[in-house]
Amino acid sequence: MMFIVKRLLLTIPILILVSIMTFSLIHMIPGDPARVILGQEATPEAYQALRTELGLDKPIVEQYFSWMGKVLSGDLGMSITDHVPVIDLISQRLPATIELTIGTFVFALVIALPAGILAAVRRNTWVDYTSSFAALGGMSIPNFWLAMMVIIYFTVENNWLPSSGYVPFSEDPKANLMAMILPCLATGLRESAVLMRMLRSSLLEVINMDFVRTAKAKGLNEVKTVLGHVLRNAMIPVVTTSGLMIAGLLGGLVITESIFSIPGFGRLIVESVFKRDYVTVQGAILVSALLVVVVNLLVDLLYAVIDPRIKAGKGA
Amino acid sequence: MFSSKAHKLLAALVLGSVVALAGCGGGGQSAADPAGNTQAAPAGKKVLNIGLKADPPSMDPMVSTSLYDRQVQNSIYDKLFDISPDGKIVPMLVNEYKVSEDGKIYTFTLKEGIKFQDGTDFNAEAVKFNFERSLGEKSKRRGELKLIEKVETPDAKTVVVTLKSAFAPFISVLTDRAGMMVSPEAAKKYGDDYLNHPVGTGPFAYVEHVKGDHITLKKNPNYWNGEVKLDEVTYKVFTNTSAAVQNLRSGMVDIIDEIPVKEIPTVQKDEKLTAITEANMGYQGIYLNNTKEPFTNQYLRQAVDRAIDREAVVKVLFDGYGSPAWSPFAPGSMAYSEAIDKAPKPDPAVIKDLLAKGGKPGGFSFKLQISTTPANEQFGAVIQNMLKQYNINVELEKVEYGTMLENGDSGNFEALQLGWSGRVDPDPNFYDFVVTDMPNNNANISVPELDEVMNQARTEQDEAKRKELYTKAMEILHENAGYSYIYHNYDKFGVSKKVTGFTYVPDGIIRVAKVDKQ
Repeated sequence: MMFIVKRLLLTIPILILVSIMTFSLIHMIPGDPARVILGQEATPEAYQALRTELGLDKPIVEQYFSWMGKVLSGDLGMSITDHVPVIDLISQRLPATIELTIGTFVFALVIALPAGILAAVRRNTWVDYTSSFAALGGMSIPNFWLAMMVIIYFTVENNWLPSSGYVPFSEDPKANLMAMILPCLATGLRESAVLMRMLRSSLLEVINMDFVRTAKAKGLNEVKTVLGHVLRNAMIPVVTTSGLMIAGLLGGLVITESIFSIPGFGRLIVESVFKRDYVTVQGAILVSALLVVVVNLLVDLLYAVIDPRIKAGKGA
Repeated sequence: MFSSKAHKLLAALVLGSVVALAGCGGGGQSAADPAGNTQAAPAGKKVLNIGLKADPPSMDPMVSTSLYDRQVQNSIYDKLFDISPDGKIVPMLVNEYKVSEDGKIYTFTLKEGIKFQDGTDFNAEAVKFNFERSLGEKSKRRGELKLIEKVETPDAKTVVVTLKSAFAPFISVLTDRAGMMVSPEAAKKYGDDYLNHPVGTGPFAYVEHVKGDHITLKKNPNYWNGEVKLDEVTYKVFTNTSAAVQNLRSGMVDIIDEIPVKEIPTVQKDEKLTAITEANMGYQGIYLNNTKEPFTNQYLRQAVDRAIDREAVVKVLFDGYGSPAWSPFAPGSMAYSEAIDKAPKPDPAVIKDLLAKGGKPGGFSFKLQISTTPANEQFGAVIQNMLKQYNINVELEKVEYGTMLENGDSGNFEALQLGWSGRVDPDPNFYDFVVTDMPNNNANISVPELDEVMNQARTEQDEAKRKELYTKAMEILHENAGYSYIYHNYDKFGVSKKVTGFTYVPDGIIRVAKVDKQ
């Protein structure tokens, strides 16, 4: 329990730091937001009016504290370009990205677990070479290209699955799942390569340890040794990588979201940056940071489950 | 050492993955269920899906600043005037109109019996309300309508607009957002939130806007201008244009607003699709700052302007899907003529002579600011290579778009690449960019004779005479060379052959009132 409380307390300074960084970053981007929002059609009067409306004429410190005050009461402000509460925009966009992240992770695991185990156990055989080669390919292929190929093969050529047309799960579960398969597949393939490489090397390390030899000497067969003893001990680096991967995916699926036309969280951030909708950018990045913190917390908790020594503060 | 709990966790993880995969496999196997069927439309409804490159932020023409807004707004709202496929201005909600001899008083007689989608009447009061709303403090349309002195409504179908001074492009302004008529009731009811509850007299009524994803409109059953054939129109956002093309090929969308140049052959080869490629009213080019060295020298400006091979630029950058330019007037414009829009082929002797006259016989260097998109970087590289052969050295400065706009305003540049999306009338494409002290005159061009001709052109009512004035203005500008026009943009629409009744209009708006889908 103390472990969780400690971890939670640590997140507070992190979030404060993130809020300051987000706030200053957007003000450091060259180009006045009001000028960019108005574009070439700006007149001097409209420009001044917009600056006042956005509070850009106030000192930056005052702007920060008035923003933080609202954030603490749960108000992330109104989007400058869409004129709706930022919190609404985020809650509209986040479910799609969470679903995409889970789907991607599941695809990645389904491929990486068996491939990684086989590659490690059958080290230096054709199985190892083939899966390592495939993983290298998977990591090297650009995401957008793979996504495009997936669309051309599954939608344009064969018309098996839709390439766009996201609907929320709550509205139409079947259509939602159908629309999510291709994007999850396209990103999952790539992420599986990372996981598989990590699992393979981590397994190889453990496989040569004394306790494994002992287990084998006691007469355990290979399957039982690997699944029962080796895998668990090899999981820590894989869980770490998975945590980082999930945290990264939650804010970084922009390319997949834009190719498959999914109204996701990553696209919200990028589009808002381009539109200089800095109120939305600030809110979204803050939420994104919060998500990373939560995922990391979960990863830490999972460590404790996998290796109880960590909870006791002894292990690595 | 190994708890059974952990075993269960791992087992559940693996099992879960396998189940998920099996589930996905099942999805994949339902191949008999074609992809298109997953779209939200119930059977029997005629739904037209249009792919847009960006999410239109605002459905209120008064506050709209995004070009994408106009695509959707044109389906919700009718305008006082419209543009015909041959680029002419035609009355829309107006039945007929008169202009006083001094060009200051416009009398509009409105069409009768038209209702807004909320059931309220469209009449002279509604028009007056709209003009006044667009002249209000929060309006982004003020600049376009600022010459209005007063609006009167002698009866329910007559509107008299008095201008402070004659302004020939006034009617053309009313073919765009400033001429869109919103329901006064709705505007009053929703106030600042009206942009999320738009009501017009157009062929389609607003249903919903899921920000960043789609906008749905439904048929206006009481549309005044002929029966609307489609039941619904959905605008979907595809920020990746190549993905949009694949969605067009697979039938997920019926029309897309941009085909990337490299994908045009793919669309042309597909027998289910048509590629529509037409020059629109916009242009791209380079500001040469009249008040900054080296371009304080007119001969050096001319040397740069004459050294650019427009045909080659268009070929290299757009595979020919662009139109070489030497004026702001695209081939569809009333002011267009080949004499002023076709630049002479670069002649080394002429350029050498200009450099000598400009006091730099051995060539010179200058900095060109370009924004950081790949397309602009490519453009910069092409210009750099073109000028190199005449010993004109271009140093490319990549600047963020916002900074570039600011540098343009403050004159903090030697040369700067920035174009204009274009309007139907010549004036809004020209006046603010070249007349002394106007807001978009980034190059600080100041030629009294040019100012005089430009002011005459905006008050002249006779079209032929206006064209002569613009030709004269352009000749003066070619001498000054403060802005080097390089190409007119192309609209590149992809349209499914299932779509009938679609006609290209040079303002680049996809009009859906007459469109049907087989």
